[in-house]
Amino acid sequence: MQKGLLEGIKRGETVLEARGITKRFPGVVANDHIDFEIRAGEIHAVLGENGAGKTTLMNILFGLLQPDEGEIYIGGKRVRFRSPLDAIALGIGMVHQHRKLVSAHTVIENIILGHPRVGRILNLKRAEEELKELCERYGFKIDLRAKVWQLSEGEKQAVEILKALYRGAKVLILDEPTSALTPPETKKLLASIEAMARDELAIVPFITHKLPIVLAISDRVTVLRRGKVVACLETRQATEKSLAKEMVGREVIFRIERTRVEKGKPVLQVENLSALSDKGFLALNRVSFSIREGEIFGIAGISGNGQHELAEVLAGLRKAEGGRVLFDGKDITHSSILERWQMGIGYIPSERIEVGTIGDFSLVENIAMNFYFDAKFSRRGLLDYGKIRKLTKEIASEYGVVAPSPDTKAKNLSGGNLQRLILARVLSRKPRFLIANLPTRGLDVGATEFVRNKLMEAKKEKAAILLISEDLDEVLSLSDWVAPIYEGRFMGIIPGEGARREEVGAMMAGLRVKGEEA
Amino acid sequence: MRIGSYQLKLEKRVTLSGGEAAIISVLAIIFALALFSSIFILAEINPLFAYREIFSYAFANPYGLPLTINRFIFLLLCTSAFIIPFRAGLWNIGMTGQLYMGALGAFAVLFAFGGKEFRALDLPHGIVIPLMLIAAALGGAVLGAIAGFLKGKLDVNEIVVTMMLNFIAFWLVAHMIKEGGPFMNPGGRGESFELPPSVYAPLIRGIPFTIFIALGVTVLLYFLFAKTRIGYQIKAHGHNPAAARYAGISTFKIPLLVFTLGGAVAGLAGYHYFAAVPGVYKIARNYGYFGDLAFYGIICGLISLGNPLAAIPVALLFGGLSIGGRFVQGKLHVGFGVDYALLGVLMITLVAFQFFYRYKITWAKTGGKVRCGSSSLEV
Repeated sequence: MQKGLLEGIKRGETVLEARGITKRFPGVVANDHIDFEIRAGEIHAVLGENGAGKTTLMNILFGLLQPDEGEIYIGGKRVRFRSPLDAIALGIGMVHQHRKLVSAHTVIENIILGHPRVGRILNLKRAEEELKELCERYGFKIDLRAKVWQLSEGEKQAVEILKALYRGAKVLILDEPTSALTPPETKKLLASIEAMARDELAIVPFITHKLPIVLAISDRVTVLRRGKVVACLETRQATEKSLAKEMVGREVIFRIERTRVEKGKPVLQVENLSALSDKGFLALNRVSFSIREGEIFGIAGISGNGQHELAEVLAGLRKAEGGRVLFDGKDITHSSILERWQMGIGYIPSERIEVGTIGDFSLVENIAMNFYFDAKFSRRGLLDYGKIRKLTKEIASEYGVVAPSPDTKAKNLSGGNLQRLILARVLSRKPRFLIANLPTRGLDVGATEFVRNKLMEAKKEKAAILLISEDLDEVLSLSDWVAPIYEGRFMGIIPGEGARREEVGAMMAGLRVKGEEA
Repeated sequence: MRIGSYQLKLEKRVTLSGGEAAIISVLAIIFALALFSSIFILAEINPLFAYREIFSYAFANPYGLPLTINRFIFLLLCTSAFIIPFRAGLWNIGMTGQLYMGALGAFAVLFAFGGKEFRALDLPHGIVIPLMLIAAALGGAVLGAIAGFLKGKLDVNEIVVTMMLNFIAFWLVAHMIKEGGPFMNPGGRGESFELPPSVYAPLIRGIPFTIFIALGVTVLLYFLFAKTRIGYQIKAHGHNPAAARYAGISTFKIPLLVFTLGGAVAGLAGYHYFAAVPGVYKIARNYGYFGDLAFYGIICGLISLGNPLAAIPVALLFGGLSIGGRFVQGKLHVGFGVDYALLGVLMITLVAFQFFYRYKITWAKTGGKVRCGSSSLEV
C-alpha cells in the first residue's frame, strides 16, 4: 500500500472515487454498479432507505468488505483494501453507529489505542496536548481524562471522530451520525463537521431518515435505492420532498391527518399502576389513565422514563407492583400473556429482533406466533400450516413485506420489513387494544409513513391504541391524548389537538404544567 | 484461493436441503475412515482389511449384527431423549441418570410381583411387560422433570442439574443392587436379581421388540415437530425464548415438558438394555459402562442437527462401529481402544464437516485474458 496519497490535497480535488462498485449477496445485489466520488472539503451525504445498500457501500469503502466488481481510487491512484487497516493507512476514518470503545478506559487511552506511533511506553502527555488542540479547533468539549462509560452518546461519538482524526483521516465516514443524539448534541456535532470541512476534510455521512440534517449541512447528496444510485445532486437544488421522493421512489406525505373517529366506550382503564425496572427500582410510579374505542393515547418521553415498563406490564410481560388494569371493565392485572392475546390485546414490541420475531423461523412460522393458539388454525393439537401459509401470503402482500418466499427466514429481512411483518401479524388479529412501542424507530421514510397509516386505520376500526414514541412530532400528530412521561410519572394528560410542542417538550423534561391531571 | 486457472471461493449457503446434508455427512464419514486408516497403517495392518472386518462383523455377521442392533436401539432412544430438550434450546446431559432410573423402575415392578424370590415364577407377561415399560418411562421422567422444573421455575442451569442427577442416580442404583440392597442378586456378585424368563422381552428374529419403540419414538418426534402445536411451541422456545414468551408460550411449562418427555424416553433405553437385550436380563455389575454409552446420544443428536429421522442412520453407524471396532481390536490384536478412537475421529470429522452446512466451495474459471483488461470479457 502506498501511503500519503492524500498529502497536500487541495480543496475541491477528488480524494476518493468508487467506480462501478458491485457486491452480491446470496439472493440480492446489495450494490449495483455504484459510482461515488468525494472531494476535499466537501460534505457529501449518502441517503437511502433501510436495505438500499448504504451499509454495504460504507463497508466496502472502509475495507470491511471486498467488492465483487469495481474499483476504488484514492487521490487518483487505484487501491485495493484487504482490510480496514489498509483503508486507515490511506487516510480513511470511520465512525460506526454502534460505538467501538473500551468503556473502562479514559478518552485518551481509547484514542491512542492501536495508533501506530504508540510504542511500548505511552507518551500520554504529548497525545493529550495534540488532542487538546484538535478539540479546540473543531469545538469538541470533552474531558480527555474521563472514563468512556461516564460520557454521553454525543461525547462518545466525538471520541470516535477524534480517534479517526488523530489517525490522520482525510476522509471521514459517519454512519447515522445523529441517530442517538439529543437535539443540542446534534447542533454541536453539525458545527464540528462544518469546521472539519473547512479544513479540507471530506465528510461522508450516511443517513437513513433525517432529511433536514442532510439539507442543513451537506454540499452534495447521493441517493441510493435498491442498490443503485438514483440521484446525485447539489444540496442547494434539493428539498425534503424531492429527496424523499428519490429515496422511496414515489411521493411521500409527511404529515398525517388525525382522523376523527366517534369515541366509544372505554376499553382500557389503568389505575395507579406501578412497576419495577429490570434493575429493581421503581420505574413506573402510580400512573392512571383510560383509553376509549377509536382513541390514540400517546406517551411522549425520552427512553428510560418508564414507558417501556408500562408497555410490558400492559402486555403481561412484566409483573405489576401495584394498581389495577381493567380491560372492558374486567380486571386483567394478573392475566397471562396468552390470555391477553386471546381477549384481543395486541403488542408491537420495540425490540423487533430480540422479542418481536424469531430469526431462524420462516415468515410462515413467524406469523404463526400470534395464531398458533387460535382454533381457526389448529385442530386437535395439530397446526394447520397450509392455512397459516395462505394467511402469510395474504397479509405479507397487504403489508408490503418484501421477501423471496413465505419460507424465507426472518433473519434475512431488513429492519423495515421486519416491522411490517410484526405489524401485519399483530394488526391482522384486529386487536381491541393495541400497544405500539416505538413503532417507527429506525425506520426509513417510506416505512414510517406506512406504519403511521396502519395505526390510523386501526383507530378507524375502533381500536384503542397506546402509542409510545421518542419522536415528539409523531406523538403530537397522531394522538388524541398526549401524556408526557418523566421518571415514571405522567406530567399531565393533555388533548393532542392544539398541544404545543414547546409545552410538551418542557413536560417531558420534568416540568409540570398547571391544569394537569385529566 | 487460486488453483491453476480456477478461482476457488467460499460462499455462504442460504438454504440446505436434506439431500445436500446427507451427501456432506457421507463425505465426512469417508474422510474420517481415510484419516483413521493412518492408525491402522502405523500398526502395520492393511486398513482396507481392517475396515472390511469391522463392517462385516457389525452389519453382516450372525453374531455381530444382533449386538449392533441392540446397541443401535439403545443409542437411538438416548438420541431422542437428547433431541427433545435440544429443540427447545435446552441441553439434556442426564440420559445416563434417567436410564438408570428407568432400569430401577422396571425392576421395581418385578420386585413388586415377587420376581426376585422365585426366578421360575410364571408372571403374566402381557401385564408385567407393559407395566415395566411404564415404570421405566416414569422413572426417567421423574428425574428429567426435576431438571425441567428447576430450569422453568428458577432458571437453574439444566446442564449442571442433569449432570449432578447422573451421579445421584448412579449411586442409587449401587445402593439398590449391591450387598444388602433390595434388588440384590441372591448370589451377591454386585448385580441385581435376574429377570424371570417368563417376562423376557419378546424377540422378533432375535431382535427385542424395543426396536419398534425406538423407531416409533423418532417418527412420533418428527411428526411432533413438523405438525403439532406443542412442537411449534417447543421450537419457538428453542430459537428465541424471549420471543416465545412474548407470543404467550409458557417459559415454565416448555422446559418441564421437554425434560419430562426426554427423561421418559431415556428411561425406556434403561428398560431396553437391562430387561430386553438377550443375555443381559439384569442390572449388570458394569452398568456404569452403559451409562457412559448414553453420552453418544448427545453426539448423535448434534450430528443429526436435532432431526429425529436423521438420527436413525447416525445411531446405526455409531452402534455398528463401536461393536465392529471392539471386535477387530481382539481379532487383529491391536493394543488400543479401536472402538473409542474410531468413534472419536468420526465425531470430530462429522462436526467439522458441518462447516459445509453453512458454506459451500464454488469455483469459477478465470481465463488469463481477464488481466488484459478488455471489457468484453465481463459476461
